[in-house]
Formats: sequence, structure tokens, C-alpha cells
Amino acid sequence: MRKGDRIVILILLFVTLFVAGQYLYSHSNKVLKKEVIIRSDGKVIKRIALNDATKMMFTVKSKEGFLIVQINNERVRVIKSTCRDKLCMKQGWIDRPGESIVCLPNRISITIQGEKNGVDSVTY
Amino acid sequence: MNKKNVITVLGWIFVATVVAFAFVRKFNDIPATTEIYTMNTIADIKVYGSNKKVVLQKVVEEINKINELTDDFSPHSDVYKINENAGIKAVYVHPETVDMVKKAVEIARLTNGSFDPAIRPLSQIWGFKDKNYRIPSKETIKNTLKLINYNDIVINKNTIFLKKKGEGIDLGGIAKGYTLDCIKTILKEMHTERAIINMGGNVLTYGNAPNGYWRIGVKNPRGDGIIGILKVKGTTFISTSGDYERFFIKNGKRYCHILDPNSGYPASKIVSVTVVSDRGYVGDALSTAFFVMGKDKALQNAKKFGVNIVGIDKNLKLFFTKGIEKSFVPENEKGR
Repeated sequence: MRKGDRIVILILLFVTLFVAGQYLYSHSNKVLKKEVIIRSDGKVIKRIALNDATKMMFTVKSKEGFLIVQINNERVRVIKSTCRDKLCMKQGWIDRPGESIVCLPNRISITIQGEKNGVDSVTY
Repeated sequence: MNKKNVITVLGWIFVATVVAFAFVRKFNDIPATTEIYTMNTIADIKVYGSNKKVVLQKVVEEINKINELTDDFSPHSDVYKINENAGIKAVYVHPETVDMVKKAVEIARLTNGSFDPAIRPLSQIWGFKDKNYRIPSKETIKNTLKLINYNDIVINKNTIFLKKKGEGIDLGGIAKGYTLDCIKTILKEMHTERAIINMGGNVLTYGNAPNGYWRIGVKNPRGDGIIGILKVKGTTFISTSGDYERFFIKNGKRYCHILDPNSGYPASKIVSVTVVSDRGYVGDALSTAFFVMGKDKALQNAKKFGVNIVGIDKNLKLFFTKGIEKSFVPENEKGR
């Protein structure tokens, strides 16, 4: 092996190590993008990036009925539901990653995902 | 191969290992998740590790199995059969149903009936079963109370018998916690490293949390979102009973679904209580019992049972058992 080969190999080695190291580092500090995930009967039907500019209102349908969801100021709430007891509406706003609003009769769940300041689960 | 080449090859093997390790880590860091509607609620399951998909499937099967035994509206369930044959005959049931009913009766005894699995007739007259909420007459409540007695549940080998016609059991206050115990066993058998399962607000944290401790939000009983975060380590169970989950308001008064087996009326001494325990069924049933008991008796009993609690009284003031207050971060001090 000549001197040139050794230098090339060494450079390749360092580049690879650097890439792998970066990968591990970025991974250990990964921050999942803040999103609102809407599921109907357990299946994801909508994902919406959540930031301070997200301002919207939309309908979510399931086999059982529908909800009207509002997103504003990085918060989410249900403002109308076809269900009987309206517990989903009474829950008010949620804003933390890990929090969710569930409408049991309509089988619709709305969850905030993301890692910063989040919770792993909510007891109720 | 000369010495330098050997070093080069070793170097590359090292690099390949690092990269492979990074990929495996990434794969294991993303949980397999699912949400299922069962036991009149929602179950949210997250499993980590290399065999996460297989484990997730097993967990779902376990939940469905227990739901089939305890669903009091399904004519095929053990609970339905027991209730249908109240005062008539003993019913042969699945060993797991026997186990669950035994445990429910045990907690009923230990809490002097503040938790009572024989509560069903009372839930029926208040409309919490058919969701046609109503305030029953005093007379109806008085008569129904005669049917609420866990001592009338006769367990004999694999059979269960309710002594009087009209009696009925409801395992809704223990089945979710019991299921989490069964899931914990599965996770252990499958060598799962980490998982978090939420069954209608009853949470099982399994293994070490990604950042040292699990952050479990406690639902704000009156306002938006959560009232604070409970930080727990390792494998544990967290259960809550509150008056905001199923309730109706009549003439400005709140009537919640947790009924006091002594008075026959909805419990209203506190608004919420969260129990942290090392057994799922204990935490689930005790949260109901403590909700019925109110603050002072709940705190005394928590000590007796060796569990920790976070409660919220009628003035929305928090109360704790010693040793858990410092693990609780109120939402207004979140500093984000």
C-alpha cells in the first residue's frame, strides 16, 4: 500500500465515522415535529403540522358521526360533535404533545405529537 | 495480508458496526403503536424493541380476550351470564373471570364496600348503563341498595352465583387494571424493554423511560388539558377516578358515574384521585374506592395499602400522600 492509499483510506474512515457520529448525535436529540394526528377507529386519517401559524377549522368524519375541530395558537379543541354527551367538547383545549381528545361514541381521537415539553400519557 | 491492511479492515468493520448499531437504535426508538376501542373506552398501546410488532399483537389479543369475558352487554360474556342467572343458578365461567371476581371481592372487603363489584343495579337506575341519565326516586334507591352487596357473590371453584334476583356485577372498575397486570406478564415473557399502555386513563409504564422517568399528565378535572405531570420511574401503574368522565348536570348539580354503594348516590366528596401502585387491579379498584371515601379516608387507606395518591378536593386543591408530592409538577409551574 502506498502513502496515497493510506491517506484516502484514512479520510474515508474519518468521513464515515463523522457521518455515523452525527447520525447518532442527532438521533439522541431528535425532536419530533409537532403535529396533530387524527384517527378514526384507530386509523390515522389526517396529520397536520402544528405551529403558531396553524389556524384552521375542519370536519372529521367516522362511520358513527362527525366532529368539527379547531386549531389555533398551537392548541386544538372540538367545537361540535354529533355525539350525545359532548365530553369531547367539554374537554376544552389541549396543547401539550402526548395529550389527546377522544370522542368515544364517534370513535375519533385527536392527539398532539411532538417531543418538546410533552407527556408520555395522560391519566383520567 | 500485511499489518496495515489488517488495521484497515478492522477499521471498516468498526465503522460498519457503528452504522448498523445506529440503525437498530433508530428502529427500536420508534414504538409500534395502535389504538383500539374496547371495554367502553379506548386503549392506546405503544411497544418498543426489536420484536415490538409481535408483542403489540399479543397485547391486543389479550385485551380482546378479557373484554369478551367482562363485556356486560354481550350475551356471550361471563359477566352477562352471571347477571342473567342471578338468583337462579351458578354459572360456570373462565378461570380468569373467577380470578378477577375474587380480586374484586377482596378489594371490596378491604375497603368496606367503598368499591363494590355488585354495583350494577345502582348504575342501571341512574341511567349510567343505558346512557339515559336520570335521578331515581328515593324509594327506588332504597330498594336497589338491598341488591348491592359483594357478600352475595358466591364463588365456588369455577362457578359464580349471585344470591338474589336482580343483582348484577360490573367489573368496569377493575377490568382495565386487571388487564394491565396481564399485559405486564406478557411484556415480561417477551423480554420487552419498554412499553406504555393506556386503557381508558389507566396507565401501565413498563421498563425504563427514554429520559429516566415517565411523564404522566393528570387530567385537569375542570379546565383545559392537564393539571400537572406525575413523574414516575420504571414499571408502575397509574389509575384515576374523576367526576368529569361520565356525568350529567341537573339543576346545577353534578351527578357523576361513580356511585357510593352506601348512600346509593353519586360520590361527590372530591373531584378526582390518582393512584400509583405496583398492581394494576389494585390501583384501578382503589381509585374508585378512594373517590367514594373522600380525602381523609383516602389518605389513611392509601397508607394502609402502600400506594401513593394525588387527589383534587372540591375546592380544586391538590392533596398528596407523603413521598409523591415532589414527583408532581403542577401545570402552572411548567416553565415552558
